[in-house]
Amino acid sequence: MEEDFKLLARFKKGDQQAFELLVRKYKMVVFNTVYSIMGNTQEADDIAQEVFLKVYTKAGSFKGESSFSTWLYRITVNRCVDELRKRKIKIISYETEFSQDEKLRLKDVLASREEDITEDLRKKELQDVIQKAMNSLPEKDRIILTLKEIEGLSYNEISKVMKISLGKVKIWLFRARQKLKEKLSFLFPEE
Amino acid sequence: MSCKEFRLLLSAYLDQEITEDEEEKLLKHLQACSGCARELEYLKQIKRLFLLKEKKEPEEFFETRLFARIKDKERQPIWQVYLPAFKKSILVVLISFLLIVGFLNYKKFFYQRPTEVVSDLLIETRLEENFEEEILAIYYGPPSIEERRLGR
Repeated sequence: MEEDFKLLARFKKGDQQAFELLVRKYKMVVFNTVYSIMGNTQEADDIAQEVFLKVYTKAGSFKGESSFSTWLYRITVNRCVDELRKRKIKIISYETEFSQDEKLRLKDVLASREEDITEDLRKKELQDVIQKAMNSLPEKDRIILTLKEIEGLSYNEISKVMKISLGKVKIWLFRARQKLKEKLSFLFPEE
Repeated sequence: MSCKEFRLLLSAYLDQEITEDEEEKLLKHLQACSGCARELEYLKQIKRLFLLKEKKEPEEFFETRLFARIKDKERQPIWQVYLPAFKKSILVVLISFLLIVGFLNYKKFFYQRPTEVVSDLLIETRLEENFEEEILAIYYGPPSIEERRLGR
């Protein structure tokens, strides 16, 4: 956190290299957050670039009231929300139904031990299937699950990024998980 | 506490975001309730799926493309940079202005004001007076200074 503030202070004084270091440090974070919310790599790349463009132009207005990463997550999430609202859709209309083959593969992955899932192809397949399930969720659920499960933020950090209370974080995450569980119900035997 | 309330706690328990007291109550409940224990297993499996998910890499030359975009933006004139951001506000201000001007002037377009009618009558009367003077001038020539003083 201290290091980010130092880099930002250097950048504000005109040191372009400090900005480059910040981009290098956070590009994966921003890209994966956007990808998980938007569900499309091409779009994620474009939006991630716009996020850094905004950081570049708005760095002067960052007062340091939160950590740099919280500010960056806020810009990222807001940019994604803007993009989704611009298109006036809450759920991206990608194919969200799982094929029989995908269901079997997912069951297979869950049944195997972590160290057995080493093949790149299986990992990629798994990634696509999870993303498909995410794409079928409403915008709010996708954002909160991304911040928790993909980025591993604490409830406190999520509440700052999304500007909601800790109680809401708890409830929204619970509901998002319930919806995801319904989408992946084929993995679980009937109760 | 009901099963519904315990299930809300399960989600926070998975994220290690519950108090010691809540955890103690939950663990006791899980020993007695097979439904909630099964629910916890499902949630753990979903969490595991996310843990197995690998991070994706952005497209090639991310930084190079970004810095080219920054240079492009810096070369743009200032109004081109800020106009898109204020486009909506400008439109709202313009529409509000037109509505206010329209509201204040709509009477002008639809009604003739009574004062204008009165002034029209005055003009007509004045025209008639001039007409009389002109006829007298044709018959008797223009009035002399004395006649003008007496008001012919």
